[in-house]
Amino acid sequence: MELPPLSVEQLSKLAASNVPPLQLYEILSQYETDACLISAGTGSLETGDGDPQVLSLFYSSFFFAHLLAKQLPEARALTQRMPETLRRQDPSLQNCLTLLRALWQTQHAQVYQILRRLPWPENLQPLVQRYESFFQDDTLIAISTSYEAIRPATAANYLGLDPQAAEQGDPAIIEKFTSCGWTWDAATQLLHPSPITIPPTDKPSSNGIRETMAMLGNRGS
Amino acid sequence: MDIVEGLLTKSAQLREAARLSDEGYDRQIRANVTSLRHVMSRGSLSSNDSLFDHFDPGADSLAYLFLLHAQIHALQEASCETVPAGLLPPGRLWSRMVSYLKAFDPVQVRYAGQEWRQLVELVGQAAQMASKPILAVRLVRDAMLRLDPSCAVFTSTHLLLVQLCLRARAYAYALPVLNKFVCHFPTSTSHATSRSSVVPCATHDSSLSFITEASGLSSNLTYKDYLRYFLYGGMVYSALKKWCKAAHFFGVVISMPATGSISMIMVEAYKKWVLVGLLDKGKLCSHPSMIASNVVKIYQSLAKPYVNLAQTFERGDRKALEAEIDAARDIWCADNNMGLVSQVMNAYSKHTIIGVKKTFAALTVTAIAEQASPAHTSDEATESIIASLIMSGAMEATLVQLPNRNSSTMLRFLATPSFRQLSRESRVQTRLMQERHSLEALVDSLDESNRHMGLSDEFVDSIQKGQAWARMSDVNPGMGEDAGLEIDEDLMGEVS
Repeated sequence: MELPPLSVEQLSKLAASNVPPLQLYEILSQYETDACLISAGTGSLETGDGDPQVLSLFYSSFFFAHLLAKQLPEARALTQRMPETLRRQDPSLQNCLTLLRALWQTQHAQVYQILRRLPWPENLQPLVQRYESFFQDDTLIAISTSYEAIRPATAANYLGLDPQAAEQGDPAIIEKFTSCGWTWDAATQLLHPSPITIPPTDKPSSNGIRETMAMLGNRGS
Repeated sequence: MDIVEGLLTKSAQLREAARLSDEGYDRQIRANVTSLRHVMSRGSLSSNDSLFDHFDPGADSLAYLFLLHAQIHALQEASCETVPAGLLPPGRLWSRMVSYLKAFDPVQVRYAGQEWRQLVELVGQAAQMASKPILAVRLVRDAMLRLDPSCAVFTSTHLLLVQLCLRARAYAYALPVLNKFVCHFPTSTSHATSRSSVVPCATHDSSLSFITEASGLSSNLTYKDYLRYFLYGGMVYSALKKWCKAAHFFGVVISMPATGSISMIMVEAYKKWVLVGLLDKGKLCSHPSMIASNVVKIYQSLAKPYVNLAQTFERGDRKALEAEIDAARDIWCADNNMGLVSQVMNAYSKHTIIGVKKTFAALTVTAIAEQASPAHTSDEATESIIASLIMSGAMEATLVQLPNRNSSTMLRFLATPSFRQLSRESRVQTRLMQERHSLEALVDSLDESNRHMGLSDEFVDSIQKGQAWARMSDVNPGMGEDAGLEIDEDLMGEVS
């Protein structure tokens, strides 16, 4: 299917849409050649000459699409494909690099700070917020299966909540965890996570193993 | 203009013939190709760009392809260059080539394989000449998948794609092809398996029926092309930190039967295989059983610094490992392996922590920090590393914090909670399903191979050819084009 030409409007529309992560990734990846041609300075037939605003928004959006699709190594490769000058000068791409470093080093608190405090362009904001929410949910699931008991401050730190308030037993923060099925032990001041498991998307056939063995058996005959 | 009208008539006839039987369609396509080649050889096709407007790259794939070649040929003659400036992106002809590769009819081009392949190669060369290999990556990949969705027959385009991906640092783009099984090489004659028809335009169970040596859809292949594809494929997986897949690809290269000497490509793959084994399993993996012991010895002597590094890693001496890495820095750089080696220290910490499980059922984070982490790492940082390992699934354990902030967090290995058991079972089930799909693909290809081997004495020919390749391996000068294809350093890997 032919996509509309690469433009700030089209990218803003995509950023604001609720397209599933893999679909968003696929759509944006189709624009990479256009972006590359624009960055060459001569522009493509549809978009005219190089446009740093389009490029900045494209590469930032594509970067977030990688993160939403959980493709961190490829997100890093993307930062190496960004036009060199733009990568060094554009504030949004610089923010992406800072975020990448924090994610690479699994510095959760820093990730939230970068997402919330750094100045992101207005039309990228929906993707930034979407990723923050995604990262928070993903981390919540991960700590629910990694900790048997956790202090509220540590849990808050992982989820980008206020660790001081959590340490003092802020009911609003505690409620965030207990609403996920965690239990709160007021005596020990510890949270006991209840594991959150995500069922697999495609239910494997119960005959899978039998069919596979039959297939192997046939080869032997 | 007469020629254009002739082409238009032939294209119209072809569209009509598409509604006929496979044999009728086959006859018409062959007639068109012969006629187009004849017109091309006489230089009668005008290089007027407006001619393209009369043809649709999808429905008139053959006419469009030959028109493109006429234009390219005219430019090449005028400039005396293989890739003239007029072909480079984002020129008009580049755009024509792009439109064509996005829309061509995969059945029609089976009859003009050489012209199709040359166009794909030209796109790759033009993008690289413009220092924008990324422009060709997706095009080449999608064109391959359009021609043969199974990608099961190894062609020169497979190699072109992985080279482009490495040069463009666009690794994930290669996965739709790399993740498929290569099961065949183009054979000298077609072994069509279709029950109804043997003509290339018919629907075939296997692409081996139309991707033959004579089809021109692949240039002539040598065993080195095959090795390089798997070497580069392993490098792509390494860049994506898919260590298991990378090890498999490097393993294919190092397991290639060798009668006398082994090629430099195999030695390169062996070095990377050792490193990837360390990063993935934390040890020097046992060699694939099909490698002869004398070949293993050759590998080990040619890759001595790598084997030493792996042995030091296994001994568990952090300082010696650091010294080993520093001492051979020039070697890692010269071999383009610094990127992988720079990840070895992190892998060491990771595997040391995971290894604690063998001795202890539970341990405080402080104790682990003393054993596994450098002296300056705080408990908090160590806990963060351990939590990351658990969260990523690299380690099966749980952390237990205590009420007192000053008490060290406990790491427990023994308990296997039911949710984790369930999650493991679910992973195994998913994995089984994947394996089942792989097996299905392999079984189909195995049937094809069996049929192929049983049909004629071509199998004997291929054995003879294989022996000729083996002789060629003795004089292999090295990797040539491989220079510059490197996985860069993992600068962000340091967690401190």
